[in-house]
Amino acid sequence: MRRLSTTAGVVSALLIAVAVLVICDMVIERYIFNLTTIWQIDVVTYSIVAATFVGSSYVLMERRHINVDIVPLQIGDRGRYWLALATMALSLAFVVVLWVLTTKFWYEAFSENWRSNTVWRARLWIPYLSMPIGLGLLMLQYIAEIGGIVTGETAPFGIWPKRNAA
Amino acid sequence: MSPTTQGLLVFVVTIGLLFSGVPVAFGLGAISIVFLLLFQGFDALRVVAETFWSGLDEFTLVSIPMFVMMGAAIGSSPAGKDLYEALDRWLYRVPGGLAISNIGACAIFAALTGSSPACCAAIGKMGIPEMRRRGYPDDVACGSICAGGTLGILIPPSITFILYGIATETSIGRLFLAGVMPGLLLTGLFIAWTLFIIWKRGFRTHAPEFRYSWKEKFASVPKVFPFIAIIVGVMYVLYGGVATPSEGAGVGAALCVLAAVVIYRMWAPSMWWEILRDTMRESVMILMIIAAAVLFGYMLTSLYLTQTLATAIAELHVNRWVLMGIINVFLLVCGFFIPPAAIILMTSPILMPIITAAGFDPVWFGVILTINMEVGLIHPPVGLNIYIVQSIAPDVPVTTVMWGSVPYVLCMFLCIVILCIFPEIATWLPDTLMGPVHK
Repeated sequence: MRRLSTTAGVVSALLIAVAVLVICDMVIERYIFNLTTIWQIDVVTYSIVAATFVGSSYVLMERRHINVDIVPLQIGDRGRYWLALATMALSLAFVVVLWVLTTKFWYEAFSENWRSNTVWRARLWIPYLSMPIGLGLLMLQYIAEIGGIVTGETAPFGIWPKRNAA
Repeated sequence: MSPTTQGLLVFVVTIGLLFSGVPVAFGLGAISIVFLLLFQGFDALRVVAETFWSGLDEFTLVSIPMFVMMGAAIGSSPAGKDLYEALDRWLYRVPGGLAISNIGACAIFAALTGSSPACCAAIGKMGIPEMRRRGYPDDVACGSICAGGTLGILIPPSITFILYGIATETSIGRLFLAGVMPGLLLTGLFIAWTLFIIWKRGFRTHAPEFRYSWKEKFASVPKVFPFIAIIVGVMYVLYGGVATPSEGAGVGAALCVLAAVVIYRMWAPSMWWEILRDTMRESVMILMIIAAAVLFGYMLTSLYLTQTLATAIAELHVNRWVLMGIINVFLLVCGFFIPPAAIILMTSPILMPIITAAGFDPVWFGVILTINMEVGLIHPPVGLNIYIVQSIAPDVPVTTVMWGSVPYVLCMFLCIVILCIFPEIATWLPDTLMGPVHK
């Protein structure tokens, strides 16, 4: 799972890099050569949205989805363990629901061949695909994280017992 | 159930859940889905996927990863060190010069990175040991860096302003310009307090035992200058209306990476990966919260909660400054616990109708809100900057850092009061350069 999420992280980072390059291309074409740009805005926007979904599992693995950890820091080890499991179960439930909904959404776009209402008329199922893929990975990563807590490999909320968490 | 009861229920559950330590993005998303299900049934779920997607499918949002990348490129290079050295070499003979150069370096670095923790870490790493070595009291050394770091979200370009601009449909260029003068004012207040307190404690040293030659004084300048030029260029493009924020920021990000690679010889692929990885981690986190906050906002409006609250407050007929006071206290309390990005995305769509109905300028309010968020960064219990500073100077007790930061919190309150009395400090620059807002 680590390898899968890391790969997703690299893909996400590359999507952002592509977005930067396409923006530069767009600016050069539009402001220097006075050309009209057709596909660039769509590609950039879709890359960033796709990067968000695809990179999400990597960000979870790296514990970078920001949270408020006042309560977890204050309670005892046992409480923290159960709280971690409860919050992760809730997040997982949300991700599963969202995965089901976005997969349905993607399938509709795919089977009915939805097009964007921009000049480029992009096939929407391609960017939409990032949602089921990204959220699917996120789902697996969440299961791995819960497994890590249960087996004691990772600490609940990343806080090891009797250590200064600050 | 009446909208008021529903609203209360949503409020209590949201606060409770956020405090449980669940990631903000997933917590907000889960709450939205649960309440949509509860009050509107399964039918309401049909729009969830589309809402989640359309929350992100916006070209303006592209500016967030671009600005983050600009900061990451500068933050991962030794530019912070050079900036600090340059200022110190120019100001070392002025009494309290080191404190001035620290806060000044924070202010400039803030303009470069737009991130408070990055600013705190970059300048603090050099500034705190140096101040302590030259005999500055620990609390002043740490407190001034904590406070200086917060300037990152006020002095443009600032992610906070982008989020506010997107959430409230306010011009981002205008917000950036509005942050300039209050940023300078706050920098001035921080410096004034620092000079006053070290003077009061009888601290007069300005390190006369060593001198820098002119050559040394100019040595660091050429390295830092390109970054400052890029940021000024991006700002010009933004308010000049030459290009959109995303385009300006995209080119700025590419140039910053290029400058970091050329000036600091960061050729190694591992260094490139570091910049990209940092950009990705931060952007994904923020963008996920945005998508969830859009869903949350959709839930609030489709249950008529936003409208009910706005009407209820309008019917109270309280004095508008009392209202502003209450909003400030509310934001401050939120800021003590919840990260700025989440607060802005959650509250600004709710607050905006209230603010405009009371006749306040949304751009001006953006500045006030940002200063409130700054307070949260250096105020316990969360006070992110406090912990960053403490990790730089581990032998200084956390309580010393906290007490050292308190006077700077008061400086921020003073700044809010000054801005309330003279709103022109924020609005003058955007109004002059971009013309007044058409109301």
